[in-house]
Amino acid sequence: MTKRVVFSVLLVVVLALSASVVAQETTIDEPMITPVVCEEPGDLTMWVWDETWAEVIGNSIEVWTEKYCEGATVDLIQQPWGNYWDLLRTNAAGGDLPDVFNMSQTFVGFYADNDVLLNLQPYWDDAGIDTTMWGTGMVNPYRFGEDGDLHAGPVNWDTVAVLYNKEMLEAAGLEEPTSDWTWDDFAMYTEALTDEEAGVFGSAVYMQFQTGYANWIAATGESPAVAPERAGCTLTSDESLEALNYLHGLYDAGYMPSVSVMGGSSADDAFALFASENVAMITAGSWKMPDAIEQLTFDWDIVQLPRHPETGRSRSVLHAVGYVAAANTSQPDLAANLITFLVSDEAQMFFAEAGGVAPANPNPVLQATWAEAFADSGKNVQAFIDATEDSQGVTGFGEIWNVINAELVINIFDLDIPVEDAAAMACDEIDRTIAELAE
Amino acid sequence: MNQTQTIATTRQPDASPKYMDIGIRRKILVYIVLAFGAVVMLMPFIWMASTSCKPPTELNQLPVRFIPQDPACAINLDALYDISPLFNSYLMNSFIVTIGRTLGQLIICSLAAYGFARFRFPGRNILFAMCLGLLMVPYQAIVIPQYVLVRDMGLLNTLPAIIVPNMFSAFALFLLRQAFMQIPIELEEAAEIDGANPLLVLWHVVLPLSIPALAAFGVITVQAAWNDFLWPLVAANTPDTRVVTIGISLLQGERSTPWNLIMMGSLIATLPMVVLFMLLQRYFIEGVAMTGVNR
Amino acid sequence: MMTAVLNLLGTTPRARRRALWGIALILPNTIGLFVFFGIPVLMSFNTSLQEWNGIRPAVYIGLDNFERLASDTRFWNALSNTLQLLLMIVPLEMLLALGVALLLNQQRLKGRAVFRTIYFLPVVTSTVAASVVWAWIFQPRFGLLDMFIAPLGFTDIRWMTSPDLVLVPIAAVAIWQRLGFDMVLFLAGLQSIPGVLYEAAIIDGANRWQRFRYVTLPMLSPITFLVVVLAIIHGFQIFDQVFIMTARTVPGGVGGSATTLTYLLYDSGFVRSQFGYASAVAVVLFAIILSVTVGQLRLQRYWVYYESGEAQ
Repeated sequence: MTKRVVFSVLLVVVLALSASVVAQETTIDEPMITPVVCEEPGDLTMWVWDETWAEVIGNSIEVWTEKYCEGATVDLIQQPWGNYWDLLRTNAAGGDLPDVFNMSQTFVGFYADNDVLLNLQPYWDDAGIDTTMWGTGMVNPYRFGEDGDLHAGPVNWDTVAVLYNKEMLEAAGLEEPTSDWTWDDFAMYTEALTDEEAGVFGSAVYMQFQTGYANWIAATGESPAVAPERAGCTLTSDESLEALNYLHGLYDAGYMPSVSVMGGSSADDAFALFASENVAMITAGSWKMPDAIEQLTFDWDIVQLPRHPETGRSRSVLHAVGYVAAANTSQPDLAANLITFLVSDEAQMFFAEAGGVAPANPNPVLQATWAEAFADSGKNVQAFIDATEDSQGVTGFGEIWNVINAELVINIFDLDIPVEDAAAMACDEIDRTIAELAE
Repeated sequence: MNQTQTIATTRQPDASPKYMDIGIRRKILVYIVLAFGAVVMLMPFIWMASTSCKPPTELNQLPVRFIPQDPACAINLDALYDISPLFNSYLMNSFIVTIGRTLGQLIICSLAAYGFARFRFPGRNILFAMCLGLLMVPYQAIVIPQYVLVRDMGLLNTLPAIIVPNMFSAFALFLLRQAFMQIPIELEEAAEIDGANPLLVLWHVVLPLSIPALAAFGVITVQAAWNDFLWPLVAANTPDTRVVTIGISLLQGERSTPWNLIMMGSLIATLPMVVLFMLLQRYFIEGVAMTGVNR
Repeated sequence: MMTAVLNLLGTTPRARRRALWGIALILPNTIGLFVFFGIPVLMSFNTSLQEWNGIRPAVYIGLDNFERLASDTRFWNALSNTLQLLLMIVPLEMLLALGVALLLNQQRLKGRAVFRTIYFLPVVTSTVAASVVWAWIFQPRFGLLDMFIAPLGFTDIRWMTSPDLVLVPIAAVAIWQRLGFDMVLFLAGLQSIPGVLYEAAIIDGANRWQRFRYVTLPMLSPITFLVVVLAIIHGFQIFDQVFIMTARTVPGGVGGSATTLTYLLYDSGFVRSQFGYASAVAVVLFAIILSVTVGQLRLQRYWVYYESGEAQ
């Protein structure tokens, strides 16, 4: 019974808050995207994969059905992240895709290649939306066809930066790094922060594609793992090898832990090591901020990735989640209308205020609101926003994901296979897969 | 009939016969071995229970700690229901689905097991082999056709979608058939001489003598139904029909894994199974063993 | 004509009645299994003859998938991994379960009920929780096993990433999680052994070991047969533990070192969108399991003792 009372109170509070947000639409004076009223209401099914977003999206959909499409209903279903892609496949195989669903840059290729996605470009054009406003990193992976039609509406972006343990830096007599710091500085910090007796590592920054080595490759100017437009594998190029060798050097010297010691090859494993104070610096994505603020027990802060000594660039992989519609939906206009609303300033404000993943809409007011959601924590969240400037879009795709996300990392940073050999092995697999897909 | 009934309900006397005794030294050794094994069996469960009471700051401990320093059980419980307000309805759905599946299989599969165990008819062996054969195809290979089938039947996103296909089981068939074949056939023949038709023989003779196997069947089937994840996910993942296994996995977002809440949910979901096992186990331990038939 | 059909059922009125009863009894389960499992299995076998990515229309390509399978190193590798896991898991799982069941069957042992519950607990423990703890057990430097073997000189053993070692943690979790299941079946089987047989054996002067060998084992054999067959069928299809344990490193193991046949099936279908090939793997797996099971059914007569005297 108490649960029900608590829930009812929460529900009232949430509704009151959403009502107040709706009433405050004047917080955005100059919206970059204005939603369009729908022509005919109807019923849509929508899939999302994250519990916390579901609430945010649910709130924004309420606004949509009130203001822009009265009478429409949206059946919003959350699918568990771990099974999302399998379920999509299963439904697709049965011919039953949801009308609107979340999509990621990693997996969009398969659906686009098989004409599963509704082309949204006509709708962007009709609504007067200039799709270049989102830049390149965020939306290029969602562009298909000769004219580069945009098939998805970007929802959120995330970038990668370095988290460091302030207390450990102080103890080692180091000053806090600034956004000017270089690879040489980083190597020096890593060495200084490693304490073999105490079992503490200086840094762990190589793991996974998005949070790891790809950022370092990108800083050299090379396209990580795969060349643009899937032209071929780039891991054996001089620049890629430079970055990989740099990281491997730090690992070989014992300043970075092996994958086995971390317990896994993912960013979460590095984060766990960081949280238990066994490593002083890690790379992490902006999505990890809520967890970091909640779970870390020591003093820490954020700084941009270090700059490549020659190119002077600090680059982060930028990933954007998008909303797409099924090509065979019975209500293409309605689905597109919903998507147009969800990328508008009004809907994106919900994301900005929730302080989780950052809203993709480039309106500076939104970005500032997002940063403000973290103001209490006193952390340099701005580093993530700054990282969007010279960002690198995701170049990997589903069929080679295991190779670039995990196998390459483990081969180099655990099984001690020479960097050139590991890169060559990965390239074999990647080129083979690209050839297969081209058939 | 009366004779078999009496035999069927005889229980083992409490004062166990001397030959079942084991010496003190052996007993201690046995306890040590069992205790060591028990620790191994328990560790993940203890981790599950302790993590469900940890505050977020204690979720990333290396090496793993089994006792929270700052217990937050009540807080986590509230947080779980905050994030997942329908959690109780998920539990209810799991309950409904489990009962439906188990009762269905109990009736349908014991009838079939009896048929295969004691009756001769053309094609019996082939059919049995084919039923067994179904166990040999991994579910990943059939999940898509099953999904299409259930969808075409119009059952998608309803609780029957989870219950009906699972009221039939090759495993239960196999288990019960083997158990029925362990029973001396003379008892059934005696009942038939008294004029009982097969259903009555099944009900009055075979089933009472198979209580241990039925209890084992119950435990295993209930557990399989309660913990089923993939099929309910494919066939009926809407807020109304969602079962608790899916509810728990939804707590795991793409980017964040609130272990404490996930484990709290898992703990709540596991407890009914533990209770059930504790209740049912006496049936396959203190079951019938005396049949008094000489060979 | 009619007599020919009737004779199929049986030669006497009683036999025919029995036959009809038999058919009636098995009908609901058989029809249900056929509709909900049989048809999907047939459809899946059908897909093995096609090329299908799940979205485009399927195209019949005959036995091409099987040809490709025969020369695919990934397949042979998966087969080898599956067999290795099977050999590691099934004997241990059964022996341990039988041992525990025997121990917990002693009536004079206090706390049996508690122990039995504890040993069954892994079956109901969430696989996610199990994998987290077992991965930690095998983690170098911070893990539990490391605490014991590091002083002996075995430091920094990389269980999960090493292609040679990765099957060990997976086997450990699989045994751990299935032991209670087998134990329950053995306990049920042990119950059905009539006490009079033991008494008769003692009168004949049999000691503990002889009672075990000449009373327990034969009387338990129908259940043992069940357990063996199920354990092998289950072992061939091991998936969840592989999937969850290797998710933190490389799904399917580094270089496919933990890829089992069912994982290969899943990967081919849901990751690489080659459902035809995946179905071909399923067909081959089915054929392998079927042959092994038929072999076991045939061997029944040599060691399984049925009360009613018929081995089938």
